[in-house]
Parts: sequence; C-alpha cells; structure tokens
Amino acid sequence: MTQRSGVLNRPSVVHAGASRRRGLWIPAAGLVLLCALGLVRIFSPVQGGLLPDRVQDGVTLALSVLIESMPFVVLGIVFSIVVRIWLPEAAIMRVLPRNPLARRAVVSMIGMFLPVCECGNVPLARGLMVRGLTVAESMTFLFAAPIINPITIITTHQAFGFDDGILVGRLVGGFVIANLLGWVFSRHPNPESLLTPRFAAECRLPEHDEHGSRLERSIRLFGRETAMLLPALFVGAIAAALVQTLVPRSVLVALGSNPVWSIAAMLVLAFVISVCSNVDAFFILPFASTFLPGSVVVFLLFGAMLDIKMIALLRTTFTSRTLLQVATIIVLASAAVGVIVNVLA
Amino acid sequence: MSSHNRFWRELRHWRGVLLLAAIAVGSIWWAITGQLVLFIHPRYLVFTVIMAVVALAFGVARVLVSTGRVADADHSHSDHSDRSGDEDDAVDTRLQRALSMAALTLATLLATGALLLPPSTLSVATASQRDVTASSTSSITGSSTAGVTTSAGADAQTFRHYTVLEWSSLLSQTSDPAFYANKPADVTGFVTPDPAASDVFYVTRFVITCCAVDAQPVGVPVYLPDWTHKFSPDDWVTVTGEFGLNGSAASSAVLALHPAGVTHVAEPRDPYLF
Repeated sequence: MTQRSGVLNRPSVVHAGASRRRGLWIPAAGLVLLCALGLVRIFSPVQGGLLPDRVQDGVTLALSVLIESMPFVVLGIVFSIVVRIWLPEAAIMRVLPRNPLARRAVVSMIGMFLPVCECGNVPLARGLMVRGLTVAESMTFLFAAPIINPITIITTHQAFGFDDGILVGRLVGGFVIANLLGWVFSRHPNPESLLTPRFAAECRLPEHDEHGSRLERSIRLFGRETAMLLPALFVGAIAAALVQTLVPRSVLVALGSNPVWSIAAMLVLAFVISVCSNVDAFFILPFASTFLPGSVVVFLLFGAMLDIKMIALLRTTFTSRTLLQVATIIVLASAAVGVIVNVLA
Repeated sequence: MSSHNRFWRELRHWRGVLLLAAIAVGSIWWAITGQLVLFIHPRYLVFTVIMAVVALAFGVARVLVSTGRVADADHSHSDHSDRSGDEDDAVDTRLQRALSMAALTLATLLATGALLLPPSTLSVATASQRDVTASSTSSITGSSTAGVTTSAGADAQTFRHYTVLEWSSLLSQTSDPAFYANKPADVTGFVTPDPAASDVFYVTRFVITCCAVDAQPVGVPVYLPDWTHKFSPDDWVTVTGEFGLNGSAASSAVLALHPAGVTHVAEPRDPYLF
C-alpha cells in the first residue's frame, strides 16, 4: 500500500468539492415500502386469481429464476469480495504459470475451488479482472468455471453417469471452448475496448485508493456489485419468463429427433431456460430419450455458458459487440462438440 | 447539480441493495409460510434461506456504513462509490440512462408484484403448452418412478399411494390392460383438457427438478364423457378407479383411468411433485 501513496490522495484532491453525506432517505423509503407491501399482503383478503393465468405464470416463472439464482449471485459476490479485498494482491498472480496458454488452462480450473454457477461467476470474474487477470483470462474462467466445478460434475454424473460420453463431452467440451475463447480474445489488440466503459474505468482504478477498513470496503463493494448485477438479474429473469410463456416448449421437443434440428432446438432451449449449470443436468434428463446424446451435450455446454439471464448479467461488464462475438464462438463450438459426440457415441 | 440528477444518483446507488433485500425478504417469508417450494425444489431451501440472511446482513451493513456507524476513517465521503457515481454520469449516454431507468422500473414492478400478490402454482396454461401428453417422463430420476416388474406383484395399498408420476411412468412402459387389472388408482392433480378429445382430461401435476422454471407437467388420462359439465380446467380433483382401454376414439392415449369417483379437492400445500 505504501508504494501507492502517490495516488492515495488523488480522489480527495479531485473531489474536494464533492464532499457530501450520502442521503439515507432512499433506503428508508424502500424499508417503508417493504413494510407497507407486507402489511397489505398480510391483511388483504385476496387469495390469487387477480391476474390472468398466463401473466400469473409469467410472474411465478420470473420469481423462480430469481430465487433460484439469488443465492448463487450472493455467494459469487462474497467470493469476489474475498478475491478483491481480502486476498493479498500477489497471491493469485504468483501461483499462475507465466506461459499464456498454461496460464489460461490453470485459470479454467479455478472453478474447482470456488464452485459457483454461471451467474455467481460474473461478479467473481469482475473481481479477478480488477485484480489483474487479463480480459481473455477472465473470459476463460467465466466460461469454464460453470462446467468444470465439483457441483456440476457431481450433478451431471448423478443424472447421466458415464453413459454416451455425455459427462466427458461436457467437461472436455467446456474446457476446450473456454480456452478457445481465451485464445481468440487474447489476440485482441485492445482488450479494454471489450469492456463497458464503466467497468473498464473501475479496472483502471487502483483498488487501494479507497479509504476505510477492509470490512467497510467489503460492504461498499457489496453495494456496488449488487447495484450492477441485481437490475440485470431481474431483467434477465423477466425476459426468460416472457419467452417461456410465449414459446410452447413442445415445439422445441418436437424437433428433438432430427440430428441437425435437435442441436438447434437444444441451443434455443438452453438459451431460453436459464437454469444454473449446477442443476441443468436434472432438467434435461427427462428429454434424454427424445434427444440424441450430442444434442444433450450441446444443451449442457451452451446453457452453462450463455442464456437470457446471463446475457443481461454479462452486459454489466462486456459491450454488446463483445457478447455477440462470444456468443457466436460458443454456439459454433458447442454445436461442433455436439456433432462429434453424436458421431462417436 | 440538479435535484433530478441527485435523485438518480442516489437511486442508482441503492437499487441493488433494495432489490436484493426484496428477494431476500420474500424468500425468508415464503420459507416460513412453506410457500418457497412453489418456486424451488426443497433441497435448495436451506441454502437459499442462508444466502438470503447473508444478503440482508450486507444490506443492513451498507446502510450502517452510510450513517458512519461502522468504524470510518474518512468522513469526507469522497469514497469510491461516490466517485464512480460521478464517473457513471459522465460515461452514460442518454440512451443508457433511459435503458437503465426502464430496467429498474421493470425490476421494481416485479419485486412489488412478488410481495403483493400471493405466491401461486403454475396453471393449466403452462401445462398445456409444455405437452402433458408427452411420454418422456419415465426417465425422470430423483423422483419416485415405478418399474413394471417391481410393481407387478405389489398390493392394492401400494397402488393407492402411487401419484400421477408413478402411474404415467407405468403407462409409458406398458399399455397391456391386463397389467392394470385389480390395481386401484387414487390420484390427485389438476384438470388439463386433452387437446384432441373432449371426453378425456388429464389429472396433472408439475414435476420439478430444480425450480418452477423446469416444471414439467405429468398426467394420466381420465376417460369421463361430459366431464366439462362438472369440472373446468385447473380444478384440483381426486380421481379413484382403475385403468382400462380408453373409450375415447379421438384421444391418443391407449389406456385411461375409468373413474369410480371424481371429487373436487383443495390445492395441496405442496402442489408439485419432486
């Protein structure tokens, strides 16, 4: 910290005139609103039937996505706080190999030690980037960790065992695709341009600029990360629910028996469903008899890396252009893995 | 700086904590009233409640930091969050600001609706577009599916405890009417009309493996001409009877439950099967 003393005072100098107390009336108003809603709910005679079925189902679905991912997002933010504030700066960088390829290969295994699903990975990847990982390296982590982590491996094994190469296809495919993405984006001449301007600015700031104890900084960081991620999570959940109430699932399942269409159908299904990678194996299991094994692998690969909710979350960190490129690569690569599994199995 | 800007900055600062608090409060509340299972599989209850408590603790701590209760070396409040707030204003275009406002409005609407409306089970509208007649349910694991060989010799008492899930798994394995003789069924679920036949409905339950998002309707066909006079879709019913050849010509099901009795019942506390 001492070597940074030169920049330590910068914010106070720049913002000397901006000293003001943070008002508390918004959280106060929020608390009042929460209590008011609670009271109305407790004392109102309404027992449902207020909304048309489809709207009510949409609300239930959106809430279900939210409640399912909320704990993972919170866990991800907590891990991210540990990485950004409590771990010594050199700790992560020291254990990583110098060679870029080997480095990304190791980075894609971090999920084995910090098992959160894809939505929890977003704050963690942000934390790793602020801590000095390159954009390409954190992308490798971001897309490998939801698949190469103990919980996902256990649930996928519970669901499929070693049948049809589904588990192996998922793990190997996830590792290869994540490292491919990392390699492609490591060639980018100006990696910072891949990030949203706001997040790029956050990465440029030395972390120790901030005043206050570690505990206080942790709490502030929690506030900032939730402010970025929660609105995105809500929007993602709403979009996922909307698509699910509008597109009949039976349409997708009907496409399942055709070798080409079933891969396309699985890509769409995985994108729409937005379930976390830790549990998606159970979701797809009932369809396993309808779809070819390779198509199931496509679902398990693509769904773990990208879905409607993830796009909304990732948009807090990456530009739309970057996400489009990432999505294209993941779609093509996971479809290719699916075809390979279909041929081999 | 205009008051409008000030308001926006404050809102942006607190939005995450408030939205998270809303879901956390909702989760804990529904866990207490037993309604959290309407959204997620019971195996995630404890984890969800623990993380909700962690989230609320952080939220309270965030407010305390702002009041200066937590040991604070710096009272000028030129902290990082204030600075990034200013930078945000500089970086944001009008469009981004509008989008971000729209997102926040949507999120607030959902959070308000969530806490205001009673939590509810998915309805027949979702069941019918997820294809209740599909016979892919036999491979749902982690659920109590039944095998033909193990079920063949079981006694009547066992069959009375079978849910629509076990019956539909049996139906997908064998459609030999002789197998179902002297095997009384007693199943509860909601009414979903057979899309093809007016004299058949399905007693349906949603099976969830993770959360309501993956809810898959599972049902068994009931042959009851004129059922529409007494029941409407989404009604919860208990049907007793035995399976036999489906009397309906239009229905795609080979076998159907021939009801000895169909009664209206209240929705169970735990409407999903796992």
